[in-house]
Amino acid sequence: MNSQGGISMAGRGGSSATATSSWVSPTSVSTSGKRIQREMTELNMDPPPDCSAGPKGDNLYHWISTVMGPPGTPYQGGIFFLDLTFPSDYPFKPPKVVFKTRIYHCNVDSAGNLSLDILKDSWSPALTITKVLLAIRSIFTHPDPYNPLVPGIAHMYLADRAKHDELAAEWTLRFAK
Amino acid sequence: MVSEEQKESPRVRMQSNPVDNSQNMENLFSPRFKSVAAMAGWDEESILFASLIVEDTPERQFKHKKRSDLHFKTPPSTNTRRKRRDQKKSPISIPVPILNLDEEEELVMKESEKKKTEPRIAVDEENKLGGDKLAKDNPDASCSNSALPCMNKLREELSCAICLEICFEPSTTSCGHSFCKKCLRSAADKCGKKCPKCRQLIGNSRSCTVNTVLWNTIQLLFPQEVEAKKASGKKNQKEHQSSERKTNNDLISRNVRPSRVSYRDTSVQPSRVPNRGAITRVSNRDASTSRDMWNQDEEDTPLVQRLRRREALERLILSREASGRRRRGIPSQDEDTALALRLQREEFMEAFGGTQEQSGISLSSARANLRVMASRAAISIHSRGRPT
Repeated sequence: MNSQGGISMAGRGGSSATATSSWVSPTSVSTSGKRIQREMTELNMDPPPDCSAGPKGDNLYHWISTVMGPPGTPYQGGIFFLDLTFPSDYPFKPPKVVFKTRIYHCNVDSAGNLSLDILKDSWSPALTITKVLLAIRSIFTHPDPYNPLVPGIAHMYLADRAKHDELAAEWTLRFAK
Repeated sequence: MVSEEQKESPRVRMQSNPVDNSQNMENLFSPRFKSVAAMAGWDEESILFASLIVEDTPERQFKHKKRSDLHFKTPPSTNTRRKRRDQKKSPISIPVPILNLDEEEELVMKESEKKKTEPRIAVDEENKLGGDKLAKDNPDASCSNSALPCMNKLREELSCAICLEICFEPSTTSCGHSFCKKCLRSAADKCGKKCPKCRQLIGNSRSCTVNTVLWNTIQLLFPQEVEAKKASGKKNQKEHQSSERKTNNDLISRNVRPSRVSYRDTSVQPSRVPNRGAITRVSNRDASTSRDMWNQDEEDTPLVQRLRRREALERLILSREASGRRRRGIPSQDEDTALALRLQREEFMEAFGGTQEQSGISLSSARANLRVMASRAAISIHSRGRPT
């Protein structure tokens, strides 16, 4: 169900949610929609540093987000765009996050997919988009070369940090500015 | 106090008397009145007092007021006309307005006091709320003033991390985190039996219980939110129920359609009413075939009638058979006996009537057909055995 990607229709989400559970499903669309709306207002009131996020259009389940490259990293000064897609049974399933801006990072592949444990097995319904964005921001400062998506970059990071940073800065300059 | 009559009479007197003549106190009252008063045992003082009281009443005319002041202030003996005139000007300070002023002042005082006390009460309430969670047991101090910072903190603290709303029927995990019961259930269902907050393994969350103290606290602190959620929950449940009913109806209507497989698979439905749809359909088919068969005999009206009757019987048998085949259900004893009786009667009629009417080939063949069908029906009835 999660792999459905962008579920735009409210009815579709609801039917799929009710089909999976026998009792009155708490994950009806109204629930997930309510939660997403709540997160949106919270995000607007108290946005995390150097991050922004909001629905792309009318669709509450499809967001776009920007994360600024944190200072002191080779990604400094870059603005990285992310696509966030909420499943219909959010928050019980993690949102799908894809980098729209190319980045030289061992945890982000060329398609923009990123390996972040909390977006996969370690997802918890108590996590919010704010926390996800903070986690993404933290992998800018602390890449995880031991769980890489691009092994070459991970190798480079471990072997020749200086060159890695140089390349990353170059990519940032080229794609994220 | 003096009665109404006594109050009234002196005034009447005074109005009638010209002011100039009433120099003395004695002139106020007529000698007749005085004599009556003396007879009644009223002394002059009380009469005077009564007249003053009468004159102090608010509906007095200006003239009377002046005179009343005059009376009040001037001792009867030393009154001169000039003095009285002077005093006529002086009573600007009539007692009534002063009294009114006093009253107003009192009112103002009271209001100011109220104003003073009200904020004090409000402050008290705030203190109660702000103090600590003890405020929770005060239902009056309920969260209407959510502007308070502590209320926001409380709201944050008492909201469910899963739905981000105020916990509805909070359930506390073994690791001490609280969520809505429903949220926790579905989290355990979909995300594994881990605490959403600390990822500790949580026990049998199926039987998770409501933390009553916390729930009561929440109900006291956020009655509006709780009510809203309750209402929406009820609505959802209703919708769910109605949708369920709808699907049930769908199922029923689907089952009504003669689908052999489903009836064979769903075993033993006590058959009281024969399947109507099946009857009509089968009988239609049957009727068409039998009519074809017997088309040639239509000229012979009594025969046709008999045949029609038989046709109807056949239809009945067929339909019984069909319905019997269709569902495994066992027909009731009454139906069995009724069918047997009817068959017997038909046989008898046939045997009896057969001598009177010529039996053509077609008729005999039809009869044969009927026999076969009847026997089949009988066999099927027997094979089904006794109803359980």
